Amino acid sequence: MAAQRQASSASQTPHLSPAELSYLYTSLSLPKTPIRPDGRSTTQFRPLTAESNILPGTNGSARIGFADGTQAVVGVKAEVEKTTVAADTLDARGLFQQQESPAAAAGDREAQEGLGSAAVSGHGSWVQMSIEIPGFRDDDALPVFLSEMLRESLVGAVSGSGGEDMAGGLKGRLVINKRWHWRLYIDVLLLSQPLSYPLPLLSLTTHLALLSTKLPKLKSQGEEDPLFDDDWAAAQYLYPRSAPGSTAPVTTSQQVRPPVTLLVISVADNVIFDPTREEIAVADAVLAISVARDGGHDGLKLLSIRTIDPPSRLTQPGVPNSENVNMLANATSVDDSAAGGATAVNLATGDEEVSGVWRPRRGGAKRSVLARMVKTVLRKGGVGEEVLEGLEGVEVE
Amino acid sequence: MTDRRRINGPPGGTRPAVYASLLQSATGAADRAQRQRQPTDLRKIFLKTGLIPSASGSSYLEFEPSASLAAARANPKSLIPPSSALKLACTVHGPKPLPRSATFSPNLVLTTHVKYAPFAARRRKGHIRDASERDLGVHLETALRGAIIAERWPKSGLDITLTIIEAEDDRWWGDAPDSHDASWGMMNVLAGCITAASAALADAHIDCLDLVSGGVAALVSEDMTGSSGPPRLVLDTDPAEHRSIVSACVVAYMPARDEITELWLKGDSSKAALEDDDKRPGHEALIDGAVDAARGAHTVLGQAVRESIARTVGSA
Repeated sequence: MAAQRQASSASQTPHLSPAELSYLYTSLSLPKTPIRPDGRSTTQFRPLTAESNILPGTNGSARIGFADGTQAVVGVKAEVEKTTVAADTLDARGLFQQQESPAAAAGDREAQEGLGSAAVSGHGSWVQMSIEIPGFRDDDALPVFLSEMLRESLVGAVSGSGGEDMAGGLKGRLVINKRWHWRLYIDVLLLSQPLSYPLPLLSLTTHLALLSTKLPKLKSQGEEDPLFDDDWAAAQYLYPRSAPGSTAPVTTSQQVRPPVTLLVISVADNVIFDPTREEIAVADAVLAISVARDGGHDGLKLLSIRTIDPPSRLTQPGVPNSENVNMLANATSVDDSAAGGATAVNLATGDEEVSGVWRPRRGGAKRSVLARMVKTVLRKGGVGEEVLEGLEGVEVE
Repeated sequence: MTDRRRINGPPGGTRPAVYASLLQSATGAADRAQRQRQPTDLRKIFLKTGLIPSASGSSYLEFEPSASLAAARANPKSLIPPSSALKLACTVHGPKPLPRSATFSPNLVLTTHVKYAPFAARRRKGHIRDASERDLGVHLETALRGAIIAERWPKSGLDITLTIIEAEDDRWWGDAPDSHDASWGMMNVLAGCITAASAALADAHIDCLDLVSGGVAALVSEDMTGSSGPPRLVLDTDPAEHRSIVSACVVAYMPARDEITELWLKGDSSKAALEDDDKRPGHEALIDGAVDAARGAHTVLGQAVRESIARTVGSA
């Protein structure tokens, strides 16, 4: 019951004592050179194995396994669906045009009907995402929150100048013609227990699966009912990639790629990437930041930010010696300052703290902290670019 | 087997016939909601606490309807209202003991529940909470958990229920979704939820670090004439009043500590048109704008809580 209630906070808190939490926090908050439990640097990701195109029954699929044993499989399936304009949406522009030119032939009506509507730019509801995490019901807060977070950045990625193919982002790519579109089902399966907050794993796996997704080649033209090529070898990638032998290779920075969502935590002055469950448990602030490569200029584009409830708010506090009833007898004989430890104001949280005694986090994050976290992701040559380049290296064939 | 005994309707949906002559009066540009406020002006907020006696704390919040709605009511040209204004009610039950079966918790266990009334939006919502409502619940929980001093109530639970009576539109009702379309109305609803829940928490006398209030800012790519340019920053947007919202941000903000407990930003904020001497990146300008909007809501919140305290003191 309690586990279910607190499920929305960043994964369940590990059972760490206040002393352990305080130790972790102190070592992670060391200025400039934090010491992480597994010895990684602040921007280093956990080692992972990745493969794509593993499920023959899907349009695209991928599997990623972290070294700690957590694994996720993503399958992408596509269906052709008829585009219906919502009944409550009156397309005023199209109908006005019709009125202005009453002589327009009936054949033109179809062309005008879809003008400026969902039929041209696509609709966010055409991408459906479901996440299954063992131990959670599919209507629990965590899977719903995660799938909304991943879907939001996927359908929100509209590139200004990524070539004609991807002008409207993923949504625009799903349009076949004014009457038909693709519907994309992205099903994410976490195979293991969520040992750490599963967001980075699920996001990376979804990214790989979408990169390997192929849609059958369209044979019909224009407004005909769609007819597809039977030859699976002729199928086209959902996210177009440069052909290996093509004369004018597109540089990687110009290609449109699905976004990735990164999990970032801040501990005191440090910004730490890809945190493990123990590290999240002492975080001051947890952010999920979605980025994608911008088609127009190289560099990264911010797509969405969401705060995630840091589980450090739910931990148990430690008791300083000065307040400990069992220690009061001794305290009378010893000097006050020695028994209580030094009380100092934590600059990151603004609370008075006794050093070495764990206090659950209170309050939120300062604007400067949030700005620094976003900046570390977006910086040129920073973590965001590094992750996208690493994913590019995974063989898709 | 197909049903041969009855004359069935067409298998696909049908649309009612709309005549162009009627359409001009029904959806003419004059009826399109236009923002009358300055970009930094906020809508008025009505906030009252203690309206639900059976709950330990409650509040009711209403946003000022846009000028076009008032005009349309005074001089109706169409049966369809041009915009909607947020109305919601919040109840707080607790702190109460956790059930015996629950495991020990050293902190107050917070449960948030956001539900749209079936009639809240233009499209009917079901009675079972859908994904977007659950998503809002998680956002609200994050916003409030940072403000509540939870260790003062070990082994206790607190239920916060929000009922959206009237929701904001995602766009003007006659517009078809364009490439930037997203559920922008949800963000306004979340800001209202945060402010109302904060008032209800104070009404229930739950210890908090500060009154946390919600604010929304957005980048809007159009001016009054309707031509699109680089997106401008607008505080407290009503999505029905704008043709294209490029990016929006909602924050839960505590002014006394200058801290953000909840941040939700989506959309492309890189092309914002700011002042020339403004060197902030787009997303930071957007967050700062949302914080300014939250500061505005905080004054209303403070007044509502003062009334709530006066009532308690008067009745005691």
